Amino acid sequence: MQTAVRRKGLGGLLDALYLWAGYGAGLFLIIIFLLMMALSAGREFGLNIPSGDDFAAWSMAAMAFLGLAHTFKHGEMIRVGLLIDKLGGRVRWVFEVASLSLGLFFTGYFTWYAVRLMYDSWRLNDMSQGVVPVPLWIPQLAFVAGIALLTVAFLDELIRVLSGKKPTYEREAPTTAEEVIERAMESAV
Amino acid sequence: MLTGFELLEIAALLFAVLAGLLAGGVWIAIALMAVGWLGMLFVGGVPAGQVLATIVWGGAASWELAALPLFIWMGEILYRTKLSEEMFRGLAPWLGRIPGRLMHVNVLASGLFGSVSGSSAATTATVAKIALPELKKRGYDEMLALGSLAGAGTLGILIPPSITMVVYAVAANVSIIQLFLAGFLPGFLVMALYSGYIAVWSILNKDKMPPPEPRMSFREKLKESTNLIPLSLLILLVFVTLILGWATATECAAWGVLGSLIIAWWNGVLNPKSFWDSVMGTTRVTCMIMLILAGAAFMSKSMAYTGIPLALASWVDSLGLGQFGLISALTVMYIILGTALDGISMIVLTTAVVLPMVQKAGFDLVWFGIFVVLMVEMAEVSPPVGFNLFVLQTMSGKDSNTVARASLPFFFLLVVAVALITLFPQIVMILPKLVFPD
Repeated sequence: MQTAVRRKGLGGLLDALYLWAGYGAGLFLIIIFLLMMALSAGREFGLNIPSGDDFAAWSMAAMAFLGLAHTFKHGEMIRVGLLIDKLGGRVRWVFEVASLSLGLFFTGYFTWYAVRLMYDSWRLNDMSQGVVPVPLWIPQLAFVAGIALLTVAFLDELIRVLSGKKPTYEREAPTTAEEVIERAMESAV
Repeated sequence: MLTGFELLEIAALLFAVLAGLLAGGVWIAIALMAVGWLGMLFVGGVPAGQVLATIVWGGAASWELAALPLFIWMGEILYRTKLSEEMFRGLAPWLGRIPGRLMHVNVLASGLFGSVSGSSAATTATVAKIALPELKKRGYDEMLALGSLAGAGTLGILIPPSITMVVYAVAANVSIIQLFLAGFLPGFLVMALYSGYIAVWSILNKDKMPPPEPRMSFREKLKESTNLIPLSLLILLVFVTLILGWATATECAAWGVLGSLIIAWWNGVLNPKSFWDSVMGTTRVTCMIMLILAGAAFMSKSMAYTGIPLALASWVDSLGLGQFGLISALTVMYIILGTALDGISMIVLTTAVVLPMVQKAGFDLVWFGIFVVLMVEMAEVSPPVGFNLFVLQTMSGKDSNTVARASLPFFFLLVVAVALITLFPQIVMILPKLVFPD
């Protein structure tokens, strides 16, 4: 894993935010695991976790969205590289700016409506249907925060690329067997 | 709903936009959202943003989907253990008399590892780590070794658990457990095809086979086989709970994670750093898939609004291709897609449009899931972006052409498997029908 250059000021703060949100997502993975074990083993012993499946579902959503910015920065968001990897210089830069702008627009759009969804849940006092009623805006908070942070990450990268720097998500081609295997496993096939 | 000519024009335009965005290097999830948004714009009067937020929240907050990160995690943990060495030592003594001898380790070990791993890259890497140097040291033909490793590695996604199947199950809205059950027999079929090919090849090429290994006594063989105990226990833990219906797919994934952690601890490779590395690796892969699934869910919804998939389905139906014609055409389409796209994207991009078509032609969606998994496997072993080829290329130090050529026979064996499950759909459907009679 390559270590990115430490940024100072706002950049440094943002990098810490992406990373810690990613750690948060990792914690939710562990929570899902523990919950599923407790649900499965608990059934045999007559132990019941009230609304356990609700909590597992919300943990899943929290994990999926809180880690997005970190995943994007880490260069693991999949794109088709066949064409653009062959480009260089100015042409590549134009493609990169266009991709990032499109990404910024749609993540921003998504964030706006995710916030509205959460606001509606709060305003209408929507509760979950399980044994333990929970106001829905609480689990939706992680979903909204994750997608908002991804939008910030897209903006962050766009500014970087516009000012002529190399994007953080761009990675060198793997050289050792270890790295190739790691990359292959990241593709999830 | 749009009509006739308009619809055709819009479909062509959306397809062109999607292809352009993907080729231009836009992140796949973003490209899917863009096309979904554009589709809704054409229909008009759809609150696109609200639909996006509602669908994605409803789809992501799902405890069934929690099986996905857990199965990914299991593979991440097991990859770091000594299972591959244990598999080689446990399997090798029994293969001395079969034509092809130790070459069959590639197939058997991949099949075994595939039944605890949901990823074909992880399976290829894990098995090749030991088998490749050991087979070379003993003088086995390297081309056959590379080809069979590339081919057999794809069993990771055909033999359940399978990350690919979970993604398809979500995209096509079919039961994960039924799909897992459907994967077993096709998995054995592919193993039989591979092993059969290896046996025939070694009978025809006797001069290329190394001298036989020294004989072992039965007792020694049994002793070596004790190496397989940890893996067998893990398989039992995952599948007995699944098949007997004690646990749901998500719960059995959690049991699998527990078993894998125990094996890693037993092998002495579990420490805070390796544990946390596996957690973060899993998190990133899951987030990547989830955003693509989010984009795909939105695009599917948009497609449904436009009415394109249904119109296409009727059009294909009116061509009168018949079941085999349709499957052949789809096979060609997927092979072409597989040259540019990864497996996950291949599935989510096509389901919205292809599923209505195959349903209309009378195929079961569980059966079609196995077909799609076989298509992804073929993409894995075909250039230019077959991940199994990349893995073996760097592990063996050969160039990409050599590895691709070595894998070619195994690519065609997968085509044979596709033909067989199309001719005899029972191979796929018998197990899920047995467990779920209706």
